[in-house]
Amino acid sequence: MTAPLRYQADLLLRSQRWLPPVILYAAFLGVGVQSGQPVLGSLGYTAAGLLPVAAWLVRICVTAEPPAARACVAAARGPARAHLACLLTALLVAVLLGLVATVVVTLISDPMSDGHRVPVPRLRAAAAGLPAALVCALLGTAVGALTSRPVLRSRGRAVPALLLGALLAVVSAGSPAQAAVSALVTGSRTGRAPVPLLPPAGAVLLTAAAFAAAGRLVARRSP
Amino acid sequence: MDRDLRLTAVGRRYGIRGPWVLRGVDLVVAPGTLTRIEGTNGSGKSTLLRLLARLDAPSEGRISGRPRTAYVPERFPSALPFTAAGCLTHLGTVHGLGREAAARAADTWLERLGAGAYAGTPMARLSKGSSQKVTVAQALLADPELLVLDEAWTGLDAAARTELERAVAERTAAGGAVVFVDHDPCRLAGTPDAVYTVTDGGLRRRTDPPGAPSGPVTVVTVRAAPGGRLPPDAVRIAVSAEETAPGRRRLAVPASHSDTVLRALLTARPPWHVVSVEPPSHDPQHPDPGSRP
Repeated sequence: MTAPLRYQADLLLRSQRWLPPVILYAAFLGVGVQSGQPVLGSLGYTAAGLLPVAAWLVRICVTAEPPAARACVAAARGPARAHLACLLTALLVAVLLGLVATVVVTLISDPMSDGHRVPVPRLRAAAAGLPAALVCALLGTAVGALTSRPVLRSRGRAVPALLLGALLAVVSAGSPAQAAVSALVTGSRTGRAPVPLLPPAGAVLLTAAAFAAAGRLVARRSP
Repeated sequence: MDRDLRLTAVGRRYGIRGPWVLRGVDLVVAPGTLTRIEGTNGSGKSTLLRLLARLDAPSEGRISGRPRTAYVPERFPSALPFTAAGCLTHLGTVHGLGREAAARAADTWLERLGAGAYAGTPMARLSKGSSQKVTVAQALLADPELLVLDEAWTGLDAAARTELERAVAERTAAGGAVVFVDHDPCRLAGTPDAVYTVTDGGLRRRTDPPGAPSGPVTVVTVRAAPGGRLPPDAVRIAVSAEETAPGRRRLAVPASHSDTVLRALLTARPPWHVVSVEPPSHDPQHPDPGSRP
């Protein structure tokens, strides 16, 4: 599995298509996060913004490869695995992006709760923020996997579905991403930063299911 | 590992209610065989090849067997952000080679196909023919057990076309299966073990000996060591094998397979002695053999 992953990662890196979502994410953080703001609230914002970016990265990875090149890889490894390599590449990039953003935001923010009442140690804040970012990266790639090839093939349907799916994943009650982000926002008010356990587990399961569904469909619905 | 690829009552349609492109297809691709698929444009040849390469799942029926497969699509995109050698190294590792072995194989195959000079050229700047050479090379890098060629010869120059025919002969001689579609009826003429025609969504085996021209033939004259028997590979490939004198044979073999036959003869136990090799009279590579130095 490492060979297709390296190939996909190199393809993404050299195609430079990763630039727009990364720049947009940086701009989103630049607008919403300022140094000296309460750390947990900023981390919640950081995690929530990562979800649509992860979905977009999946769309980029899945559509970047020309169909003929995709066929060559799929013949060697099987179409499901070739597709899985695309999805995992996007997930890895999203996780990396979330990691960097969380570390930077933790360092520049104020280690206090809202209103400077309760101190929140930076390490404790990072321990709460990193799982939240992971949850959003996972769910974002799940949304991306379910709203691009092979599930939705026309761009006219795929892009609105991706945006709607990402929005719903962030705001709807019961979504692991919503749970993780709102735990951070509440934590910022109370000054307590619990490390979330249930949301990451839920996100891993949902994402695995989404990847499996996309992988099963890829040989049935090509080209 | 089951190396026989077996299609049983396979059908394929695009979409749940789309028309059937193929239906009721039974086909076995055994190791070491060369199979030609014919049919008119849009008859479903490419769909069948995609099924054989396991790129598409059948809508009905069953496909069993999973040989290590390499596929050459009709067109290769030059939109990949790699150099030719970089692309091949990546695809070589995807085919299961180590990085160094992949880089070496990439160089070897680009050289064999006459594109060695373009190894460092970005894919986007390659000509159509050169990027087709990259496609062909990626399929041959890792000695696949099943090679699926969808009009792989289209766009190649004469030397690369001959080289690809030779590579196909080598693959089958080494026990790999090759399935190909090509619009040129002379392509590898006389050598396929089976020829199938796709018509009306079904597959029919062409059993009648093709009245079509049997491509260029190389005549090899060999002498046996006492008690020597023709190796089975040579017997299978040769169009004719007349005994001109006791222990002396005159073999007519398809030009694409001459190297394979010579190798079989020379590595036989006891080895045969090669007396002469006459190139085909209408070899496109050497239109006028007399004028060569």
